[in-house]
Amino acid sequence: MRPGALFLFAVAIFATADARAEDLAAGISRDTVEITSNFTGTDVVVFGAVENEQGEALPASEPRDVVVVIRSDQPYNAIVRQKAPVGPIWINQDMRRFSGVPGFYFLASTRPLKDIAKPETLDQLELGLNNLALGTAPGSIVGPRVYREAIVRAKARDGLYGEHQGGVSFLSGSLFRTTVALPANVPAGNLKVLVYVFSAGQVSSSNSMTLFIDKTGVERRLSDFAHHQPVLYGLAAVILSALAGFLASLAFRDRH
Amino acid sequence: MQIYLPIAEMPVNIFLIIGLGAAVGFLSAMFGVGGGFILTPFLMFLGIPPAVAVATQSTQIVASSIQGVIAHWRKGNVDFKMGSVLLGGGVLGSIAGIQLFNALKAAGQADLFVSLSYVIFLGSIGGLMFWESFQAVRHGGSSVGAVKREPGGHYWVHGWPLKMRFQRSKLYISAIPPALLGFLIGVLSVIMGIGGGFVLVPAMIYLLRMPSSIVVGTSLFQIIFVAAISTFLHAITNQTVDAILAMLLILGGMIGVQFGLRFGARLRSEQMRLFLAILVLGICARLAFDLVLPPTDPFGVVIERAE
Repeated sequence: MRPGALFLFAVAIFATADARAEDLAAGISRDTVEITSNFTGTDVVVFGAVENEQGEALPASEPRDVVVVIRSDQPYNAIVRQKAPVGPIWINQDMRRFSGVPGFYFLASTRPLKDIAKPETLDQLELGLNNLALGTAPGSIVGPRVYREAIVRAKARDGLYGEHQGGVSFLSGSLFRTTVALPANVPAGNLKVLVYVFSAGQVSSSNSMTLFIDKTGVERRLSDFAHHQPVLYGLAAVILSALAGFLASLAFRDRH
Repeated sequence: MQIYLPIAEMPVNIFLIIGLGAAVGFLSAMFGVGGGFILTPFLMFLGIPPAVAVATQSTQIVASSIQGVIAHWRKGNVDFKMGSVLLGGGVLGSIAGIQLFNALKAAGQADLFVSLSYVIFLGSIGGLMFWESFQAVRHGGSSVGAVKREPGGHYWVHGWPLKMRFQRSKLYISAIPPALLGFLIGVLSVIMGIGGGFVLVPAMIYLLRMPSSIVVGTSLFQIIFVAAISTFLHAITNQTVDAILAMLLILGGMIGVQFGLRFGARLRSEQMRLFLAILVLGICARLAFDLVLPPTDPFGVVIERAE
């Protein structure tokens, strides 16, 4: 169990015991995104309601903050190399390995994170791009912060990491919603959709849902074939390529 | 128009990829090079993961080389015997290359050593070739000696044992130099991760003194096997050959190869050498710039799916 999850568990118990009890109901506009051959990304709406146990809107004297995180389950490894000039030439100097790098991470919140909770809380829940717990791979020296920041920068350039502080809006006293644009290169697999409600700097309730990013049709069959029968797939790739070259030379035979 | 690539897990523009395949096919058929040195960085520039780019471009090289070899073979312009000797050396060279590569890696700074030696190597080949072919073109085709074949003339390679008759190349030389050449190309391609056609072609012209007309088809012949082995190994070890991307590249390649063949047939030998020299110098310049220019982000990040 990750430290973040442990903490969350503790918070959840604490929250239920809290006198200021509340109900969080949350949902996503769709629980499956099907990747077809013309997939160019899609929007997903995360919405919900925060109410007291009687189903009434909470009083304005007890303001709530909502943080929505969509992140992929599948961990990635990362290698970060730092280049530095030696004379006129730029060469790789230092290298660090990381594991447990999320393939996708997007966060939206009602207000700037620093106004919602203390840095330690954000850190433990991995809220915000600066607080991702990118693990150092076994055997690698613990890297200074700059290496982690480089990973976040690289993923943000690819559109796979992002945050929109202020992106969650309350439509009424209890209803909130946010729109998340999933980019075309979102990794296939399960995405976790996490909703945290903060009250006075603490998590007062939370919810976790799953969004399936699924390849369908030809895309699905090809990638299954490649991963499950690599030898056959490799042979097929070579033979079909050779055949294509051969057929092309027949097709163009009389042209010159 | 966009299409989703199932292995790269991202969409690409269909026409852009077909166009890229065509451009590479054109160069391949004209010069007898594979084209991976252009294709790989370009695909990576489009955002395709490096592992997928490297693995998938080799499928197009298989298709384009076969198409090119068949066309050259119809005109009697492929020396299969020479190609096989080069390939034999190449296979041994690849095996040795892997050992050397691991040794360099263990010593650290492998990248730097490889890049630097490649820049110097390509710079000198390209420079010499440019100078020679430029002179030849200027003097209206009468070559200034370097590649002029004197019937019955003797070169340094003629003293070596194990002589073989290469009829297509009109050569009766020892099998050792071409095998050695193939070996060196094999070592280079493993270390640099590129096929090495643009090193092989000048070497066949200037060192082995094969006729330029034979060189392109013969180079493509041995590239077929290098690329096929590479495709297969990537598919089984990394599962990074993207079938859709390969299909689009091959489609473009078919068209490009055809144009390359026609254009190449019209070129005179010294013009072909001049263009190839410019291409080699261009690649050299790109590698040199990569070494010298300050990177936009001093941190390079490689992200891979954890298994």
